[in-house]
Amino acid sequence: MAEAVIEVKGLAKHYPGKKAVDGVDFEVRKGQVFSLLGPNGAGKTTTVEILEGLRTPTAGTALVLDHDVTKDYAKIRKRVGVLPQDFEPFDRLTPTEAVGYWGRLFDRSLSRTDVNRILEQVSLTDRAKVQAIKLSGGEKRKLGIAMSLVGEPELLFLDEPTTGLDPKARRDLWGLVRRIESEGRTVVLTTHYLDEAEQLADEVAIMHQGKIAAHGRPQELISKSGSGTTVVLGGAGEAGLRAVQRLGLPVRQENGDVLVRVADPSQMKSVLRDLASLDLPLRDMYTRRGTLEDVFLTLVGARMEEGVLQQ
Amino acid sequence: MKKLLAETFTYGKQYLRTRIGAFFTFIFPVLLILLFGAVFTSVGTSTISLPVQDKDGSTLSHLFLSSLNDTGVVKVSMVPDTEDLQSYVRANSLSVALLIPAGLEANASACAAANGRYCTNLTLYGDPSRSTYMVAQGVVEAVVEQMNFALTARNPAIKVDSRQVVVEGFTAIDFFLPGIVGMTVMVSSMYFMTGLCAEYRSRKYFKLLATTTLTKAEWLASRFLWFSMILLISLALTVAAGVALWNVHVTLNAFAAASVFILAGTFMLTSLGMLLGSAVKDPESASAVANAIGFPMMFLSGSFWALETTPFYLQAVAKVLPLTYLNSGLRDSMVYGNMNGALVNLAVVVVLGVVFFVLGSKLMSWKER
Repeated sequence: MAEAVIEVKGLAKHYPGKKAVDGVDFEVRKGQVFSLLGPNGAGKTTTVEILEGLRTPTAGTALVLDHDVTKDYAKIRKRVGVLPQDFEPFDRLTPTEAVGYWGRLFDRSLSRTDVNRILEQVSLTDRAKVQAIKLSGGEKRKLGIAMSLVGEPELLFLDEPTTGLDPKARRDLWGLVRRIESEGRTVVLTTHYLDEAEQLADEVAIMHQGKIAAHGRPQELISKSGSGTTVVLGGAGEAGLRAVQRLGLPVRQENGDVLVRVADPSQMKSVLRDLASLDLPLRDMYTRRGTLEDVFLTLVGARMEEGVLQQ
Repeated sequence: MKKLLAETFTYGKQYLRTRIGAFFTFIFPVLLILLFGAVFTSVGTSTISLPVQDKDGSTLSHLFLSSLNDTGVVKVSMVPDTEDLQSYVRANSLSVALLIPAGLEANASACAAANGRYCTNLTLYGDPSRSTYMVAQGVVEAVVEQMNFALTARNPAIKVDSRQVVVEGFTAIDFFLPGIVGMTVMVSSMYFMTGLCAEYRSRKYFKLLATTTLTKAEWLASRFLWFSMILLISLALTVAAGVALWNVHVTLNAFAAASVFILAGTFMLTSLGMLLGSAVKDPESASAVANAIGFPMMFLSGSFWALETTPFYLQAVAKVLPLTYLNSGLRDSMVYGNMNGALVNLAVVVVLGVVFFVLGSKLMSWKER
C-alpha cells in the first residue's frame, strides 16, 4: 500500500451554533485521487481549507506530507498546489502572464517554454494571450489548475473544480484530472457531483453534516450499500408495480417506470425469468448498475442536485 | 526580492490596464493644475490670523491693534520682540505678518505737528500673492488710513510697506501645486489601497495568495513600491505641466524634497488605506469608507486653499487629518524653503505611517476565520 500523504484524525471545526466539521478521520494515499463528496454545507471545503493551511481547526490533527498543518505549513507550501472553490483569476492578466507570475510566487523562474508546457497541459494554449476577464468559466478553472501546477506539486487540492460548468467543460476537466493523476501526483477533489466522484476517484469519503458518512472505493461503497443492479421496466406503470410486488421482489416506481433491485448478481437470471413470465406491456427494458447516487440515497435519505439535497 | 518585484510589476500591469488608476494618477492632477491655473482667483475669507510684532508698545500702537481686531476680519496675535520677524515668517510658513516699528507714536505725532508726509512706516511681511496676505493688507491699509485721518486730517503720517518673504517670483499657482501633489498621493494610495484590500478579500485573492510563499509584508511592500513609483512619475508630469503652462517655480532642491514627501506620504496613506481596507468587506463599502475619510481630508487639509482662511473649528479639524501634514510639509519645502518646518511635518507623516502600518497589518488577515 502506498504511503499516506494526508492523515486526518478527529478533525473538527466549530463555529458558534454550528459544527462545520465534526470529528472526521481519513487517510489519502500517494498517487490516488481522493474525493470528498457531499452536498453544500457538508463541511468539505472547511476540511480541505484546514488541510491547505487556510483555516485553523478547533480540534484534531491533520498531517499533510508528514507536517502538522497548524504548526509548520510553511515548510510544505511549495509542495502543494491549490485550486480554491471560489477561484477567480486576475482579470487583467493573460494566462501566460498569470502562470509566469504565479511561478515567481513559488520561487520558480519559469521560462516561456515552461509556461507554454503548463498551458498546454490544461489545453489553454489557444487562449494564452487573452486577458482572463474574457475567458469562459471553464477556461478560468483551467487557468486556476494551471496556476496550481506551477510549483510541480506532489499534492493537489481541487475544490469543486467543475461546479457551474457545462457538460463539455466538465468532461474536459475530468480528462485533465486523469492526466494529473497519471503523472503520479496525489489529488484531493471535493465535489457534489456523484458521477464526477465515481468517474475520477480511487477513494471517496461521503460527508454529511460535518461527518464522514461512508468511506471507501466507489465500487466497494456501491456493493456495501446493497444497491447492486436495477432492472428497469420502462412504462410498466401501476399495473406492473402491483404484478412485481406479488412476486415478492424489492420494487419501486419512478416516473411511470418500475425499478426492480437485484442485490445479489447470482439471482439475476431467476429474477429476469420471473419478470418475463409476467408478460407486461413495456416500452423498453434494461438493467442499470448501482451508482454512488444509490449509495448516497441510502446513507442520507435524499437525492442531491447541484449540491442541494432534494427531500 | 524577486517575489517582491514580481508582485510589484504584475500588479502594476493590472493597475495600468484598468485605466482608471492611470487616469487618477497621471491625468487627473495635470487636469487640476490646468484648471486651477486658468481659473484661479482670490479666495474669500473669514477671520485671518495676523501675527504682529509691536516694537513701539505705545498707546497709539495698542489703539491701532485694537482697531484691527475690531474689523472682525483679522485676529491679531503677538510675536515676541526678540524674534527677527522675517525669519519668524519663514520658519512658521506664515503668509502674512505685521511689524510696528519702535517710535511709531513719536514719529507720527511729530509728523502731524510739522505737517509732514509719511514720517513712519508699518511693514507687512509675507507673500503678496497669497489671498490671506491680500486681505490682511487691505484691512491694515484701511485702518491706517482712518488713523492718518484722525491724526492730521491733512497729510498722511503713516504708510504701509510690503516685504516679500517667500522666494522671489512665486505666484498663486505655486501654492496650489503642493496641494495637488498631496491630494494625488491621497487618491492614488489611500483610495486605491482601501478598494484593493476590499477587492482582494471579496474576490478571495488574499486566500489565493495565502497558498503561495508570498508573505503579507512582501505584498504590502510591493504595493508601497508601486504607488511610490507612479506618484513620483505623476509629480514629474504635474510639475512639468505647471512649469510649461503656468511658469510654476520648482527648484531641483524643492523637487527632491517633494520626492521625499511623496515617499513618506505614500507610506502613510497606503498604510491608512490598508487599515481602512481591513475594516471593510466589499468594494462598495470600501468606496464609501474611503470617501468618508478622503473627502474631508481633500478639502480641509489645505489642498486647495490656505487653512488660515478657514474658520477656527475647521482649522482644529485639519490638525487631526494626516493629509494636513503632508500638504504643509510639501509647501514648507517647495514654496517657503522652511526646512525645519518641513522636517517636523515629515516626522509627523512618518510616525502616522508607522502607526497605520502596524495597526493595518495586525488587523488584515489573509486566512479564513
